[in-house]
Amino acid sequence: MARLTKKDIGGFLARQGILVAFALFIIGFTIANERFLDPDNIMGVIRSSAILGVMALGVTFVVISGNLDLSVGSMMSFSTIVVLDLHDKIGPAMAIPAMFAMTLALGAFIGFLVAYLKLNSLIVTLGMLSAIHGLTLTYSGGKNMDIADKEGTWFSVFGQGDIMGISVPILIFLLLAAFLGVLLAKTPFGRKVYSVGGNGTAATFSGVRRARVVFSCYLISAFCVATAGLLQASRSLGSQNTVGQGLELEVLAAVILGGASLLGGSGTIFKTVIGVLILGFITNGLLLVGLEFYVQFVVTWVIIILAVWLDIAAKRGKLWSPIA
Amino acid sequence: MNYRKALAATTAAAALTIGSAAVADTMTIGITQNNVGVDSYQTTYEKAFIEAAEANENVEAVVLDAGGDVARQIAQMEDLIQQEVDAIIIWPTNGEAVIPAVRKAHNAGIPVIVTNSNIAEQGFDFVASFSGPDNITQGKRSAEIMCDKFKDMGIADEAKVVHITGQPGYTTAIERAKGFDDRLPEVCPNVEQIDKQPGDWNREKSQKVMEAFLVKYDDIDGVYAGDDNMGVGALNAAKAAGREGIIFVGATNFAVGYEAMERGEYWGSIYQSPVDDAKAALKTAVETLEGKDLPFLNYFDTPKITQDNMGEYDKPVF
Repeated sequence: MARLTKKDIGGFLARQGILVAFALFIIGFTIANERFLDPDNIMGVIRSSAILGVMALGVTFVVISGNLDLSVGSMMSFSTIVVLDLHDKIGPAMAIPAMFAMTLALGAFIGFLVAYLKLNSLIVTLGMLSAIHGLTLTYSGGKNMDIADKEGTWFSVFGQGDIMGISVPILIFLLLAAFLGVLLAKTPFGRKVYSVGGNGTAATFSGVRRARVVFSCYLISAFCVATAGLLQASRSLGSQNTVGQGLELEVLAAVILGGASLLGGSGTIFKTVIGVLILGFITNGLLLVGLEFYVQFVVTWVIIILAVWLDIAAKRGKLWSPIA
Repeated sequence: MNYRKALAATTAAAALTIGSAAVADTMTIGITQNNVGVDSYQTTYEKAFIEAAEANENVEAVVLDAGGDVARQIAQMEDLIQQEVDAIIIWPTNGEAVIPAVRKAHNAGIPVIVTNSNIAEQGFDFVASFSGPDNITQGKRSAEIMCDKFKDMGIADEAKVVHITGQPGYTTAIERAKGFDDRLPEVCPNVEQIDKQPGDWNREKSQKVMEAFLVKYDDIDGVYAGDDNMGVGALNAAKAAGREGIIFVGATNFAVGYEAMERGEYWGSIYQSPVDDAKAALKTAVETLEGKDLPFLNYFDTPKITQDNMGEYDKPVF
């Protein structure tokens, strides 16, 4: 084996600056509170990040393809409310596929508007953010949705179950991340997603059917949202109509933190997972440190900026650059 | 017919007919609500308000909803002023931002009744009266419920409590937290409040906060949450972590909280009915128009509910 040279280390840093930032935060929080590294805590953080994480996986595809999806938060509220409502009406075994079908239909609608009608994705999904919220409220009549028999349903397995000591939401998150990671990195479809987002015109001239790729990305995003809704519903077995409100920005923050470019064409599933974990551990770490919560908002922002800075600094090999 | 003009006309026309003649006239009362449909409380409130208005043949109600949007609420206030309604009830989307609109109504001679959650103090001059729950008292009562339970258990000298508040910056959240923080050391001076973090009225967020508390503290004897929705989130976290024997006390008893009390997992809460809230708002508006001398703050009662006395209360519909 070749020895690690300075260049190798530099190259590693340049590629994985965000990992370095992540490691630094972990060390910092561990010093601040020794319980931070408690296995129960680590598992707890990953479990509660899983919902955000699953959504971020889908949005990663959309962002790499050069578009945005701001509707995922209210779409997740929709899936959660629908599956909880149908659980008592038609039973969980039917409710889950029905909810997935409805959520995918929403995703297909958005995909149609953005991919085939070529409408601006920011406007389309921003509009859908409130339209789907309205849809959810109309569906539920504004009431909180709760499963009547909380003790006797197997539905709770997705959000609360364990398989070999690992909680099911974590397993679902990791399996989906592995599957989508391979889809994005190792298949012709994945390469088309990058090419469409990197240079759409060039992709078209190379024979890539751009609309179809973008449409598929929105379907993937909707599938992830439906999965997140399932986890959410199963975890608390009841929900407000606003459960996903504001998550679209957290999801986007995680994806961008992971290094995906808002302009499209770059980003990976692995880095998105790291971005999700950073956000999850910041929230948890600040709670454990016990900072006053008004201060937490500011500190969260500072940490995110630090992470982005470290990532960029690693890429260009120095902390500060006179040229942008 | 415009009630105020009617009143003036009647008074001028005949000193013989005592005020009651005017009361028989229809009064138009406009209401602009905060965000119907965002939670079951507000949805139930609106239904109860419409029913109460229909039940009173002298009242004609114009029911509006701001959808949580301050700008829309201000526009609705202006619409109601244009329509020359007799009184306006407002459920503020924001305690500060709506003050200019409230002042405008006041200057137009339309009495404004604030419902559920009050506006900021600098706007009080323009408000005829407030109708709603007394959130400071609610916080105090929750502290008393918690303390009484600790005394029964014999741990009033050593118990440790964590506190999950509503959304930072919201009047209701601030007032409940203040009531609890002030009252707990008065009734149980040796109980220690070891941490306080916001759960944003959100069950999932509250569950996350509680998970962190459970990691951070080995001994937690009590949890006070600013409403039952968050209380149940905290309960879920404790159940998942296998921590038993924690006393959960909330406020605004929700159906999920009531059910958890039935199961013996959740100790108590504050019974606040949106139906009472809506009826009290309408009653305050009607009585203001009838010229009754009302106090500025009209609170409807929100009693304590615990596993011991829950049989006296119906399960909340929200």
